[in-house]
Amino acid sequence: MNELKRYSLTLTVNNETHAVTASPNRTLLEVLREDLHLTGAKESCGEGVCGACTVLVDGQPVRSCLTLAMAMEGKKITTIEGLAQGGQLHPIQAAFVEHHAIQCGFCSPGMILTAYALLRENQNPTEAEIRHAIAGNVCRCTGYAKIVKAIQSLAGEER
Amino acid sequence: MRLPPFEYLEPATVPEALAMLDAYRDKAQIIAGGTEVINRLKLRLISPDCIMNIKKLRELDGIVEQEQSLVIGANVSLKELQDSPLLRDKYKAIAEASLQVAAPPLARMGTIGGNILQNTRCLFYNQSAIVLKGLEVCHKRGGTTCLAVKGGKRCFSVYQGDMAPALIAFDAQCVLEKNGARRTIPLVDLFTGMGTHPLSIENNELLTGIIVPKQNGAYGSTYRKLRVRGSIDYPLASAAALLALGADGTLAVSRLVIGASGPAPRIVAGAPAALSGKLPEDADFAAAAEMAYELSEGVDNLALPGDYRKKMVRVFARRALQGARTDIKGWM
Amino acid sequence: MEKFTLIGKSMKRIDTAAKATGEAIFSADLSLPRMLVGKVLRSPHPHARILAIDTSKAEKLSGVKAVITAQDMCGDKWGVFRYTQDQQFLPTEKVRYVGEEVAAVAAIDEDTALQALALIDVQYEVLPAVFNIDDALAAGAPQLHDVYPNNINVEVKIDVGDVEKGFSESYLVKEDTFRAPEDTYFQGEPYAVAAQFDQTGNLEIWMPNAGPHMKSKPLSNVLKIPLNKVRVRKISIGGAFGGRSEISPADVICAFLARKARLPVKIVYTREENTVATRQAHALVTKIKTGVDREGKVLARDITCYMDGGAYSSTGPIATSVPFLCMEQAYRMDNVRYRGYRILTNKPIRGMYRVHGRAFASGVDVQLDEMGAELGIDPVTMRLRNARQAGDYTPTKSYVASCGMTECIVKAAAKAGWESKFGKLPPWHGIGIGCNSVQTGFPMGIRGGSQALIKLNEDGGITVITGIVDNGQGNESMVVQIAAEELGLTSDDVQLISADTEVTPSDPGSYSMCETFVGGNAVRLAALDVKKKLFKIAAGEFGTGEDELTARDRKIFVTENPKISMSIAKAVRIALSRNESISGEGSYWPDVDAKREWVKNPSGQLSEAFSFGAVIVEVKVDPETGLVEVLEVAAAQDVGFALNPQIIEGQFEGGVAMGGQGGMLTEFLQWHEGRVLNPSQLGYLVPLAVDMPPINNIIVETIDPKGPYGAKEAGMSVAMSAAQAYCGAISNAVGVYFHDYPITPDKIVKAIEEKKKKENAEVSG
Repeated sequence: MNELKRYSLTLTVNNETHAVTASPNRTLLEVLREDLHLTGAKESCGEGVCGACTVLVDGQPVRSCLTLAMAMEGKKITTIEGLAQGGQLHPIQAAFVEHHAIQCGFCSPGMILTAYALLRENQNPTEAEIRHAIAGNVCRCTGYAKIVKAIQSLAGEER
Repeated sequence: MRLPPFEYLEPATVPEALAMLDAYRDKAQIIAGGTEVINRLKLRLISPDCIMNIKKLRELDGIVEQEQSLVIGANVSLKELQDSPLLRDKYKAIAEASLQVAAPPLARMGTIGGNILQNTRCLFYNQSAIVLKGLEVCHKRGGTTCLAVKGGKRCFSVYQGDMAPALIAFDAQCVLEKNGARRTIPLVDLFTGMGTHPLSIENNELLTGIIVPKQNGAYGSTYRKLRVRGSIDYPLASAAALLALGADGTLAVSRLVIGASGPAPRIVAGAPAALSGKLPEDADFAAAAEMAYELSEGVDNLALPGDYRKKMVRVFARRALQGARTDIKGWM
Repeated sequence: MEKFTLIGKSMKRIDTAAKATGEAIFSADLSLPRMLVGKVLRSPHPHARILAIDTSKAEKLSGVKAVITAQDMCGDKWGVFRYTQDQQFLPTEKVRYVGEEVAAVAAIDEDTALQALALIDVQYEVLPAVFNIDDALAAGAPQLHDVYPNNINVEVKIDVGDVEKGFSESYLVKEDTFRAPEDTYFQGEPYAVAAQFDQTGNLEIWMPNAGPHMKSKPLSNVLKIPLNKVRVRKISIGGAFGGRSEISPADVICAFLARKARLPVKIVYTREENTVATRQAHALVTKIKTGVDREGKVLARDITCYMDGGAYSSTGPIATSVPFLCMEQAYRMDNVRYRGYRILTNKPIRGMYRVHGRAFASGVDVQLDEMGAELGIDPVTMRLRNARQAGDYTPTKSYVASCGMTECIVKAAAKAGWESKFGKLPPWHGIGIGCNSVQTGFPMGIRGGSQALIKLNEDGGITVITGIVDNGQGNESMVVQIAAEELGLTSDDVQLISADTEVTPSDPGSYSMCETFVGGNAVRLAALDVKKKLFKIAAGEFGTGEDELTARDRKIFVTENPKISMSIAKAVRIALSRNESISGEGSYWPDVDAKREWVKNPSGQLSEAFSFGAVIVEVKVDPETGLVEVLEVAAAQDVGFALNPQIIEGQFEGGVAMGGQGGMLTEFLQWHEGRVLNPSQLGYLVPLAVDMPPINNIIVETIDPKGPYGAKEAGMSVAMSAAQAYCGAISNAVGVYFHDYPITPDKIVKAIEEKKKKENAEVSG
């Protein structure tokens, strides 16, 4: 199959609608990065293990490298670029910066979105709950200690 | 990593899906959460003409309690299983299995059907062309060699699904539908025991649900899995156990199921004889675990050596039995 | 008034907000107009002669804009050292490992590029291959390169004192062999390169690197264009850990594709390609013979280490030496013999790794534990007895000006509760200690120095221009912190132009732990240069001496009478109004022995300063499964001075994860005939958040006389000593000293079984 048919899709990303044409074998990650130039979501493994490709779909963290773009019609997608509002860092982003929870930064978008989803579901997570929630986000630099601290600093806050 | 080309189908109802399956047969690959199929596609282990997304089939949703059983739709996510108080209270091994699959985001995407229907795995099979191009073609890829076991005459790939052993411990059944027909078989019979073709499902059949019979009286269950890290990884050995007391207060039902120990999850057939009719003690559990060890397979085709993994089946079988016991009031 | 306003404080990093928002651009994120997708064709054979390559079908495929093979290059062989030039970027004669680059294409999209690769027809003549050290050294073994007989790539010989005499005087002598297979860097960011040429033949290229100036020279050589036409650009980098220092075939291939296609090209590696086709860490077999006196003091040590280097030299001489040098820095050894051999095999190429030689350092430490046990001396005391001290010379004659090894050991032991724990823990619990030391750079000839420039704006803001590169560890912030501190500015007043070979002066790069020491010193000197000029102006205006002034809060004022002040902006404007341009320059060249050479002359001052670290770990082992639960870690390192404590803690914590939790428990490459079977995130197990223990960070400061503000390095000593501590703790818990790493659960179970067998035999026998 040489010439792949391409389909029109409407994707809602960070509260904006985008008309995209994509062949069925394009992943959500590819469309976000290459068509919409939202390069915050990264490919660090391509097989859904490391979490660097994490975006929120209807508020839930999803591996965008394992998600077909065509299955995303009608879903609300949030990428890391959609977190900061009006040029201000979201409190989670600010906490990551404040607590030195970011070193090389490659895992950070995925990590932050996962933390965001955790805190929406559980406003007062214990350390064990935090580590469990981010267990699917691999970080090679930090050893996770300050990431956990950053998330803990937000426990109990309104957001 | 780029996916191969395919067409995309998204049936809205089960009848529509079954009609498509009839039309496409082996040219269509079903996808739900995508956590396994997408990876197989990326490695070019499969190249179907089309991908059929069944996530929109509402008939496959829901955990429904019926009089004598629990019916779980094939599309129920692992997260839904984790969050179900009913499973936690009454079908603990199944809840425990769902909590130990992969990591939370993957549990949200993955479905019980997808987890059950996963293909077997092997270090020498789940590889890209960089590795496989210069090697002989193995049994699982349609060839005549085994790359893991020198001179191996059959496939030693390993079934590493977490849900199946726990469901089988509860004597679960699965419902398979195709155009014009539906069959319900014990879940354990879905597995052929052959690494080359691990599942006994036809290419126009759809797994639509799991039926778990209710367990009554005093019973306990658990699922234990060996992995080196605390999340993400497939099991290197696993065991599920269900123990139920009879009216006379001795053990009436025992089911010990081992996983990640060969091409299929397997019931340790000799366990009930060793355990029933009394209140088994640790020595009895050890005897049953020994049977599990004998039944298990361990070759060097995963992250850690096969002989170690075989030994761990014994350890986890025993721990599963002991774990199942802890919930039974009046026993220990 | 406090001494410092920014230095020594955990200043927020300047780069992390952009990383938190996803705005930071990494190489794979780049998008250039009309950019093509590049893909590399790789060898499926571990060793084969290339008979013919037919690219005609690929070239004809619609959408393909360039196809290259070795024919497009000049065939020159490159090497880090003049005597290790053995690698062509696309091989002309033969391939030497599975995954080696053979050809490449650039096309309008990824699918077309992949199709084009499949259309390239390569005829190989498969040759016999070797996959381990023994086979590579065996008589009649296939030779990878004609220039390395017996596949011996590098031989390092160090002889100090009289080892035989030392052994003869020893109370106890022990000889053991320690082994570990390959591990790997596994940076978060898979390798990617983007390149474009402009009309005048200037190359712009972006890739993760540990020193852009280390990349530009080889590019200049192979492209045959002068250095000033090679612009290695600044880009966010997702980790290096020692694996991104040298020029990569991907860099050269991308540049050649871009030149041939006359369009920008980007190559993005998969995770597998990152594991197989960049660099890995050496497998080691280390034989260590040590003699101690009755008090546990080491009198002689004889080490022979064989390293599996893969198919090409890479930084062979360095990698073959550093594991030994770290140990000779960490521990006193008057009589020592070292033989290091780097052996070539038909496997991917090995380089220097942050956790150098786990089977070397852990061997040294485990032996100290074992011999100590025989002597009735506990591991901490054994370390104290042999610890490096300030004022010492290492066996290879480096003067150690500052050393906090003893302080690290004592503080770690106190924090870990060693006294109350060692020998007193419940069954299957254990505690262990590891010590290591890292050099801050080494002689690098004309690339050993760093220069920084400072531009001043009339509103009092500055721009620092430096070749310093940031791989994620916080080097950019260090530059801003130092410049702002010296000039009394805030970090917002300081802009940074860094790691761009068009603009920034040469700098040795971040891979030899010298960015703070060498680069940071250069920045500090440049800032002092500016300060001197500004103070001269202010002093003239105030009628005071220059030494009576302070720069702080964007002002220059008389220290004893702060009301007499002027803004820095004003001082700058005064200069400009006098028609005097004002800027700053500083350069730092470490005072090391320029004649010291890894192989020819491994003696003399290696670097000006050394860090020292001690890690203590407490574990609990499940004897049935061999799974290790790590209960607590105390990580102590003499960093000289903590420029930014939170950043340093981050290095300690990441180091414990990489060296200890990963390096000693789970990380190793699995092989089949030269093929990596676990290159992916699912197969190569790096620690997860649920795996990590609580870590107590202990920053020790000895204020090095030469480091900027006394700082040395902070990224490596803990990473290395963590591996050793994990090993010691598990050995203590199991009651068996482990010599094979990583200590995976199967090895623990086996050790316990064998120990039981032995004990039963002793009882019955």
